[in-house]
Amino acid sequence: MAEAHAHAHGHDHGAHAHHPTGWRRWAYSTNHKDIGTMYIVLAFVASLVGVAFSMMLRAELAYPGMQLIHDQQFYNVLVTAHGLIMVFFVVMPSLIGGFGNWFVPLMIGTPDMAFPRMNNISFWLTLVGLCLVATSTLVGTGAGTGWTVYPPLSNAVFHPGMAVDFAILSLHVAGAASILGAINFITTIFNMRAPGMTFHRMPLFVWAILVTAFLLLLALPVLAGALTMLLTDRNFGTSFFAPQGGGDPIFWQHLFWFFGHPEVYIMIIPAFGIISQVVSTFSKKPVFGYLGMAYAMVAIGFIGFVVWAHHMFTVGFNVETRAYFVIAHFHYVLSVAAVFAIFTGMYYWLPKMCGRMYDERLGQWQFWITFVGVNVLFFPQHFLGLAGMPRRIADYPDAYAGWNLVSSVGAAITLVGTLLFIYLLYRTLTAGERAPANPWGEGATTLEWTVESPAPFHTHEILPNITTQPAE
Amino acid sequence: MTNRARNIRITAAASVAVVVGMTGLVAVSEPLYRLFCKVTGYGGTPRMAEKASGATGEAMFTVRFDANVARGLSWGFRAAEPQMSVRVGEETLAYYEAKNTSDLPLVGTATFNVQPDRAAPYFNKIQCFCFTEQVLAPGETVRMPVTFFVDPEITKDVHARDIGTITLSYTFFKSDDQSKARVAQSEFKPESKTYSN
Repeated sequence: MAEAHAHAHGHDHGAHAHHPTGWRRWAYSTNHKDIGTMYIVLAFVASLVGVAFSMMLRAELAYPGMQLIHDQQFYNVLVTAHGLIMVFFVVMPSLIGGFGNWFVPLMIGTPDMAFPRMNNISFWLTLVGLCLVATSTLVGTGAGTGWTVYPPLSNAVFHPGMAVDFAILSLHVAGAASILGAINFITTIFNMRAPGMTFHRMPLFVWAILVTAFLLLLALPVLAGALTMLLTDRNFGTSFFAPQGGGDPIFWQHLFWFFGHPEVYIMIIPAFGIISQVVSTFSKKPVFGYLGMAYAMVAIGFIGFVVWAHHMFTVGFNVETRAYFVIAHFHYVLSVAAVFAIFTGMYYWLPKMCGRMYDERLGQWQFWITFVGVNVLFFPQHFLGLAGMPRRIADYPDAYAGWNLVSSVGAAITLVGTLLFIYLLYRTLTAGERAPANPWGEGATTLEWTVESPAPFHTHEILPNITTQPAE
Repeated sequence: MTNRARNIRITAAASVAVVVGMTGLVAVSEPLYRLFCKVTGYGGTPRMAEKASGATGEAMFTVRFDANVARGLSWGFRAAEPQMSVRVGEETLAYYEAKNTSDLPLVGTATFNVQPDRAAPYFNKIQCFCFTEQVLAPGETVRMPVTFFVDPEITKDVHARDIGTITLSYTFFKSDDQSKARVAQSEFKPESKTYSN
């Protein structure tokens, strides 16, 4: 009866609603906010590991010669684990699983996702994937293949033992989780928008997640198929990528980059969405060219599927794609753009998620330290690449010493910024001022700012009606 | 409400169909990729032809012959001549030589590639040993012919007509299927042989 009563007064029962408590609340969670929180925590923990690995790499590269890491295979195991963890278990879970789960239902005015139980299994599969990739670093000599897992390096001759198999299974599981998540987002956004929330009134972050979900749906099955072929090549004697049986290693590169290029957009389009929301909020006006931006994201998504071959210049005519230049290039997209969007999302939505305000001064310090850090870290890597320094090698000739030291100093500065962010989070959660429902003022027009802070366990049980608002 | 439940089901089913469709596509991608390379000469895959068209041109090419043996196969493998000067359109015969340096019969399979990539669509092979697996008895030597011609169309391609040297490269791998080696062991004849075709 208490339950029925609570539902009958859905609009004012807030956090007192009936729901499991203790560990059951999280393990059995079907609540989009709790699952979103778990994704963010998972990404946070994974990022500590991923960042630690990259700091070890950068410490080794600070000077010529072998200092800390005396084993080239171990160096490449760190390279591989850093890449896989950052892509699949930091950027994707935080932007899509974390912010997506938290704010898509809030922004379109629906109580929860279309398939709350499937949402739960998506999260736990992602955790299993993270455990599998961690296991792969500990089994035998580890997987030193790089995140691209190119055969023949990743085949059973050059990587005997189970490390690569664990990495493959990790991506399989994480991929399955992401596909289920994508189906969930698409179904939710298509069918569960509040009255009046037409596609053309949807906040740009929701558009971004929708486009991303479609990319996941199209790209991940291809990765899964390619990984399955590699797994059978390694274990069951097939020769999809083995020339001695009539296969072709280049075939792997086509399949991998058919997934890999859209994957870049999977990581950056949610970032576009967050930045659009934040710019609109703090400039106190709607995004100029809202529809243009929405359809640009759609177009970017589709064009992303036909340009994969540009990742494969090593297949013939250009040696620079093996150089350190590539490291600089994609870290500007992923580490600078996507990770800064994650920080942005955290700052923007932290008051809504935890009900407390962060310290603005600390936040500004964190931004500037990290901003200077990443640029000192990654910009000189362009020079190193152009000068011919190869990637995935733990040592280098003295000629590259100068910029490598600069880059490693940048890594140290970035680490300070990262630690400061952890301190800021701690301060916010323990001593932050209570946040009002809308701490950002008149510019914050999306629906998540109409519910109290922190967002109650159940929201939008009475559907908001925005039919009276003008379409943009 | 039931209307929405139905729509949710339709959207979810369509999404699953997309996943199934992409999975199906990747399942058939292997033969498709093979076909694509064969048809277009993509990535340095030479074309196969029945015979040369007969038309020859003035342009001369240096064709270099490269021979490699992958790890795990104890064979010696080399081109009879390192390079040849070839008139465009002219049918040319070249030989490679392989010798089994181990004391076991071994089955090898060759893969081949043409560099630069841009020349591959015009590099036609009429026949070569790469189409079949080679079985070599211990110590056995074999001479293997390659017949090829360079399509005169190459001189009309703005991207390829500046090419002067084309490299034909073979790599022998130990075949995964060694059952023919066991058959050969039972009927081993120690003289050397030359393929007549």
